Amino acid sequence: MSLRITSKLGLTLLQEMPQGFLAPVVNQVNHQIVRHRRTKHWDPKWKLFRRMKVVKVDLPKFNEKVENLTDEQIRIRLKEQGILPPRPWVERQFFIHSTGGIFEPYVPPEGDGKVSPVSKQGAMQSLQFLEKKSRTMMAIRKIRQYEEDFDSPEFCKEATKLYIKMHELLSARDKDNLIDVVTERAYPEVLHNVENKTIRWKYIKDIELPRIVQARCTDVISRENIFGQVTVRFHTQQTLAIYDRFGRLLHGSEIVAKDVLEYVVFEKHMANEYGTWRIHAKIIPDWLPPREPSALTFKRKIETTVAEPEKAVVETASTENVSTPNSERVNTA
Amino acid sequence: MALTKVRYLFATAFKLYQPMVTQCEKIHTSCRNQASNNDDHPTHWMEYNQKIYPPQTPDEVPRLAYVCHQRTNIKYSPLKMWYVASFIRGMSVDEAIKQLKFVLKKGAKDVREVLEEAKEMAVKEHNVEFPSNMWVAESFVGKGRVIKGIRRHGRARFGRVEYKHCHYYVRLEEGAPPKHYYSPFPQQPHEQLEDWLAAMRRRKITNSL
Repeated sequence: MSLRITSKLGLTLLQEMPQGFLAPVVNQVNHQIVRHRRTKHWDPKWKLFRRMKVVKVDLPKFNEKVENLTDEQIRIRLKEQGILPPRPWVERQFFIHSTGGIFEPYVPPEGDGKVSPVSKQGAMQSLQFLEKKSRTMMAIRKIRQYEEDFDSPEFCKEATKLYIKMHELLSARDKDNLIDVVTERAYPEVLHNVENKTIRWKYIKDIELPRIVQARCTDVISRENIFGQVTVRFHTQQTLAIYDRFGRLLHGSEIVAKDVLEYVVFEKHMANEYGTWRIHAKIIPDWLPPREPSALTFKRKIETTVAEPEKAVVETASTENVSTPNSERVNTA
Repeated sequence: MALTKVRYLFATAFKLYQPMVTQCEKIHTSCRNQASNNDDHPTHWMEYNQKIYPPQTPDEVPRLAYVCHQRTNIKYSPLKMWYVASFIRGMSVDEAIKQLKFVLKKGAKDVREVLEEAKEMAVKEHNVEFPSNMWVAESFVGKGRVIKGIRRHGRARFGRVEYKHCHYYVRLEEGAPPKHYYSPFPQQPHEQLEDWLAAMRRRKITNSL
């Protein structure tokens, strides 16, 4: 009965009003025009049938990011589709062809060894230098066991060639051949931040002849498995210009030559018959003067560190106490 | 917990150890159909971001930077999205973002997000110093995936329902927006006068000298 009344009432409401009936009022009152749909049946009993006409389709969510889903949501998804979760990636890669660091990194003397040997600091430096030099000699002797014709000046020539080749490959962005000149440790460091850029690098001349300043050997895992590391001092003149993607100058210049002093570590897997000398790292001393700032300006990121008050700790502790019976229940279930 | 670890490992495994991955890439271990799985969205538009231009000499006018960005398979009709896309053409980015806040269309939200992402990309990856100094050089829509559904009709017949998706593409360019985006530009009064004069002088008076 009540349904009939409401439906009749609805019917009357749906009936069209004669136009201009409330025209003077409409002009005065803040009134929004609503368009009523008259294509549907007034009786709600057909609503269900109308809905049943359309077969429901599960649309794929193309723009959904898997990273943003919670663990529980992922679990539900996998269960819905009857898929087992992916196996954890428990393998870890090891490169037995190169080491992961520099052993006993060379500490370049401040002011590049120009401190007077008469002063206390200078005397200390020269003492340490002697101590280290003896170890270098020992290491070179060990290298000679594996590489009989190891000769310092010859090696320095080879090192210069490697140094130049690495820079040329880098400016050509030849990633495939770069790995022949650079160890696996140095590879990501060399290629860091060179994407979408044009690098123009030119080697002009040696200011001083390159020389070996330190050599070290270490065995890894077994005694015979020896790696050799040699630090070479390069004092050269170079030009460097870096352009961005649109050919605009970012840094440096192609004309102005600069004197560059670098300590480069070369590494070779001595125990490997086919091992080669490759660039392993560059030593950056602490006393290096700060770099000149870039010409671009940046928006500074405001770091907001939310200090957790002690209350939070208390709260978590209390929740833990509460949650213990729950977790027990889960375990038993 | 375990699942997050799994995901983290999957994500990091491919980022680290690049030389090993590059070596592995050279070995073909799967069938050709599995080799590429990028068939559900276009990639060509984003490749413009990879293009590297030759270095310029100091006396040349610096090239203006640009960024291309897209969002694929938005659940919205491309026909409706067209109105939003062409609305912001030739506006500055900030103006476009501001205007889109007042557009009562579902697609406006996606377009706004894409613009904001593009602005961020420009600063982070493409050496643009001031992201506000950019304008919407291109803004257009493509047809995305269409998923077909069924609708029952009377007398054992059926109709087809199309659930349409669209791709939205945008290119931001550095600099101030042009005064007129579309050509031909509206003519100035003196130009109109010149045209009229020319037309008058061109006409042929029959039976005259």
